[in-house]
Amino acid sequence: MHWVALQPTPDAALVDAHAAWSWWALQFTPMVARVESALLLEVSGSVRLFGGEDALLDSLFKPNWPLAPVEYARGATSLVAFGRLQCASACTLPADALPLHTLAAARAHLPTLARLGLANWGQLRALPRGGLVRRFGAGLLDALDCAYGQRPEVYPWLTLPDVFDAPLELLSSVESASALLFGARRLLAQLQLWLRARQRGVLALELLWELDARRSNALHVDAHHTGGAQGRLVLRTAQPTQDMQHLARLLGEQLAQVTLPAPVLHLRLRSLQTQPLAGESISLLPEDVRHGDSLHQLLERLSARLGPQQVRRITLYADHRPERMQHWHAVADMAQAGIGKGLAAAPKSGANKAYFTGARGQNGLNDLPEMALYPSWLLATPLLLTVHQGLPQYEGGPLALVVGPQRLEAGWLDGDTHCALRDYYVARSAVAGLVWVYCERLSGQACWYLHGLYA
Amino acid sequence: MPVSAHLSSWKDARADVWQADALASAPGRVLATGDVLLNTHLPGGGWPLGALSEILQPPGVHNEWRLLLPALARSGTGAVVLVGAPHTPFGPSLGAQGLLPHRLLWVAPQASAQAGAQRLWATEQALRCADVDAVLAWLVQVRPEQLRRLQMAAAEYDKLLFVLRPEQAQGESSPAVLRLWAAPSPNGADTLEVRVLKRRGPPMDQSVHLSARASHLACVLEASGHALGRTAAHA
Repeated sequence: MHWVALQPTPDAALVDAHAAWSWWALQFTPMVARVESALLLEVSGSVRLFGGEDALLDSLFKPNWPLAPVEYARGATSLVAFGRLQCASACTLPADALPLHTLAAARAHLPTLARLGLANWGQLRALPRGGLVRRFGAGLLDALDCAYGQRPEVYPWLTLPDVFDAPLELLSSVESASALLFGARRLLAQLQLWLRARQRGVLALELLWELDARRSNALHVDAHHTGGAQGRLVLRTAQPTQDMQHLARLLGEQLAQVTLPAPVLHLRLRSLQTQPLAGESISLLPEDVRHGDSLHQLLERLSARLGPQQVRRITLYADHRPERMQHWHAVADMAQAGIGKGLAAAPKSGANKAYFTGARGQNGLNDLPEMALYPSWLLATPLLLTVHQGLPQYEGGPLALVVGPQRLEAGWLDGDTHCALRDYYVARSAVAGLVWVYCERLSGQACWYLHGLYA
Repeated sequence: MPVSAHLSSWKDARADVWQADALASAPGRVLATGDVLLNTHLPGGGWPLGALSEILQPPGVHNEWRLLLPALARSGTGAVVLVGAPHTPFGPSLGAQGLLPHRLLWVAPQASAQAGAQRLWATEQALRCADVDAVLAWLVQVRPEQLRRLQMAAAEYDKLLFVLRPEQAQGESSPAVLRLWAAPSPNGADTLEVRVLKRRGPPMDQSVHLSARASHLACVLEASGHALGRTAAHA
């Protein structure tokens, strides 16, 4: 046995079962060819590597493989294997006994051959060669020689593409964007096979769709398509992944925000950026295995549904003004700008650096005990308080100043709008408990603002 | 021999006798609250892990950090997700009190008709994440079956889950394992009044008064109080 012929059947979950099977087969041998509707594999070079013919076939058709099982046949040459595949019931027939219709080159002459009383390959081969060439042309004889191993067999070998790019024609036109997900799932399943074959994870991919030209007008199309001739959705993940469920969920969230001006007939999925994927190491101890999604999956899913600006992480800065001490970044921006986590933000000046090394001494801000006196809630914009009899009022009652003042003068280099000349007080409100207020001294007359709440 | 002394010695001797006034021993793990007085009133001696704890507060009052910060600071190194926080969390202050700011993840769904549903969804997604240690969700209007869903997710993934709700929800039924009501004491003392509305164990008839401030701040407040007192005496 040197050749395996197999017949992929159309698979509902996949876009192109032939391509999927050829990508799968390519890990067993580099010689995979497509002939008519079958795939032919030349495996003589790798039989020993996989531990024998049976072991190789076992791993090629292993049951946990997600593709549907296929019919296959073996043979000494590709044409014999292919011929045996076509008469499925008798896949162990000797080459001489194979019926003539299984030989592609003989199909054009089948009526003539039948009238000559020929039924199988052996009878055809027994005829004189000269007469055969004169009667049927050289093609038939060459094919017969190939089938019996007297001529080398050369095919255009299939290769694994560098970039995944699969089109899909939808069975019926799709009106709503979220329904595109069904088609996209099939494309994603195909993408997963490609990623596994290449041992890569996808970082960015795009889904393209074409509107049905007959039912869309130019105005719609121009409004819908920004730039190119197709609708387009780009999906990015923070870490390379082969997890198609995660991608399908992200895609679903994004598609839910798209409105289609006209029905869609064609879909296309293309990988934009991939990266080699290292294997995952799993702990031996069962208690170390934590179940659940990873953090970046959570962040991407939240950003996809709620909007990228609604999911935020903090960056601390060395500044004396409370509103400048921290900045809440959208997670997506942080990933793009390469900002590290938390305290890793680069300080700008020498003074700031001293502050930072001091602050980082104990993996946190433990060296700055006065920070613990700051409130845990900050108001996004300071709230201007009314003043009655010289005392600021909040929630209908006067505030009693308890601690302070703490004088703050900062930001004179940043211009008038950011300059701060403030006296901070901890004040007690009868309703809201302790609050953090400041008295702005810039304008000449005292203005009181509420800036934080103690929780 | 006094009867009470006799009884207590009998109680000590028979550890296998169930006593009706005892708190349930916690079925799961707990995380100490950082406050000895509060610990004694919670089953197992702390916040339950893998369960929903509900904290009810009057409007405009925020004592959540006072109650939760010590436990959150010791909860691990994973993310602490804040869903729908009422104001901007002030990272430097939280960091100085032990909760590293880079653990914080602030999810703030935009105000819209589905904001409530989105908060619930985000809370549930955060519970399903392996790298999250605790979730704090501020939910205003929520139905018991929605809370039940969160409780199931917290139990399945073994997370700390705190739901902060207005005190009007006190009358509604809730699947929470632990329900607290917390507000500043009405008598003017700087203490925090905590009432346990629901727990695994006998109902609590008296409320607990905790010091309302973390220790740093309490010291400063006390010092300034002395200073003010002296100034007043001078005058």
